Amino acid sequence: MKLHFTDYLIIALYFLFVIGVGFIIKKRIKSSNDFLNSNRSIPLWITSLAFISANLGAQEVLGMVASGAKYGIMTVHFYWVGAIFAMVFLGVFMMPFYYGSKARSVPEYLSLRFDEKTRALNAITFAVMTVFSSGISLYALAKLLEVVLHWNFDLSIVIAAGIVMVYTFLGGLTSAVYNEVLQFFLIVLGLSPLVIIALHDAGGWSTIKTQLQPQMTHAWKYMATANENPMGINFISLIFGLGFVMSFGYFCTDFLVVQRAMIAKNINAAQRTPIIAAIPKMFMPIIVVLPGIIAITLMQPALLSKGFSIPTNEAGELDYTMTLPSLIAHYYPTGILGVGITALLASFMSGMAGNVTAFNSVFTYDIYQAHFVKNKSDKHYLQVGKMATVFGILFSIVTAYIAKSYNNINDFLQLVFSFVNGPLFATFLLGMFWKRTTSNGAFWGLLAGTLTAAITHGLTIAEGKGGWIAPVFEIKSGMGQAFIVAGFSWIGNFVTTILVSLATTPKPEHELKGLVYSLTDKPKFETNKWYLKVIPLSILLIIVTIVLNIIFF
Amino acid sequence: MLDKLNKLSFVIGLFFLIVAIILLANYLINNSNHQQVNLYVGIVFLVFGAIMMSLKNTEN
Repeated sequence: MKLHFTDYLIIALYFLFVIGVGFIIKKRIKSSNDFLNSNRSIPLWITSLAFISANLGAQEVLGMVASGAKYGIMTVHFYWVGAIFAMVFLGVFMMPFYYGSKARSVPEYLSLRFDEKTRALNAITFAVMTVFSSGISLYALAKLLEVVLHWNFDLSIVIAAGIVMVYTFLGGLTSAVYNEVLQFFLIVLGLSPLVIIALHDAGGWSTIKTQLQPQMTHAWKYMATANENPMGINFISLIFGLGFVMSFGYFCTDFLVVQRAMIAKNINAAQRTPIIAAIPKMFMPIIVVLPGIIAITLMQPALLSKGFSIPTNEAGELDYTMTLPSLIAHYYPTGILGVGITALLASFMSGMAGNVTAFNSVFTYDIYQAHFVKNKSDKHYLQVGKMATVFGILFSIVTAYIAKSYNNINDFLQLVFSFVNGPLFATFLLGMFWKRTTSNGAFWGLLAGTLTAAITHGLTIAEGKGGWIAPVFEIKSGMGQAFIVAGFSWIGNFVTTILVSLATTPKPEHELKGLVYSLTDKPKFETNKWYLKVIPLSILLIIVTIVLNIIFF
Repeated sequence: MLDKLNKLSFVIGLFFLIVAIILLANYLINNSNHQQVNLYVGIVFLVFGAIMMSLKNTEN
């Protein structure tokens, strides 16, 4: 792939705009609350699009296209089984507690509901995960630019990290969120033409269905047993592991995404943020799953004349991660090629900035202020927040080079995610909906859930990974293994939290008002328009999602 | 004009408008069937950019 002047001009324009947004927002930053929490003043449409964009990083974009090519339409389960239901649950049931409790972060909610040790455990694991995740995003960006465009690896890291640092340092969370909205439109509008052109070239959906194995174009039909489908899991593991534990764990407890709803202007807008975001999210598979299915179709014997192929790695296997860049290189001429590459850059930078802004909030509020330096002036915490931004990015650069040294570090991080996020959802579920849950129950439940995840991983093996205790159970795909690990970790946490809670003393009820469902007044909506209310919108979303599942059954 | 830069929808619209102009200019300079996609995408970006720039009260 070779870029020309026009392509570079579009990339330069994008860099100019994201930095410009940082300078525009800078003058609005007066306090630590402005910098780290956007002073809870962001309009609904912006929080909603930022909510989607925060989990539309390059790992998701490249990863979903890769999964589309590898597993076919089953990849849509991440959206139509996982994301939508979890986002609706977050909006309807959980946002009133996050927003209403006045907590500034997810770990701070844990301190209000439970105690400081549970908050510290969550804050530290989350801070480490965000820095590693940001670094891996940076590494993946530089690697892609090196392989596809032959750019210098070190220079790519410095430029990308430098640009993210400038706009997050200047404008904090607001700047990151505003850029996420720009990045959302760029990703959607920049990649949509590719879907249209490639789908047309492949002969449309009817040709895809005739060219591919039926397992690749049916979302549910071959899920009765694990051996019938390319993902190697049955529908129970999918619904429980992905649909319930992993998706709810990510969308309902990961501060990176929840933070976008917590900065809305009021509780009604905070509740509607994930609900509104679920509307475009429902159709994201068109942009990020369909290209993968088209790509694998184009490699079938009848369509070889089209001249497209997914590159292979050193082992001679298809390098699915390169599916999207290969499609862009194959179909985009100069001009729109610059838009496509900029869309990829935008997704990398969006993912990195999201992690850095979540990191600086958690570090400042939940680690520094909570455990080291209390009762200082707001100006002091603003400076700490800014320094945390700089150090977060510097740590990201270090982790990017660690990722370069260990080629399986991304797998390792995904595993850590399933170890930490999966069980965490059980803590929140019990904490918000069972007033008997105790602080000790939550803390030991979290530890037990993580331990269960490690044991499950040690006893299962998939694609050569895991089985470090004894490879007792073999699972067809790494993705299936992640679902099973998450499922068991959730059960481990859920059972332990209940048992320990029953054996220890809960907080008195007056301390739990606004933190537990049964002790909290339900928010009232000030509108009569049904399409602005959370419940009718949620029901509509769920109906449409079920219909989509039936259409592609 | 400078005040409008405080409005996110205006900034996004302006970005897409400039990209549209670049794509359309590129199409006109290298007029060929291979470049047809730049024409179509340029027009879509132009319309999208103009709509975003003309939106009012998006901050509320």
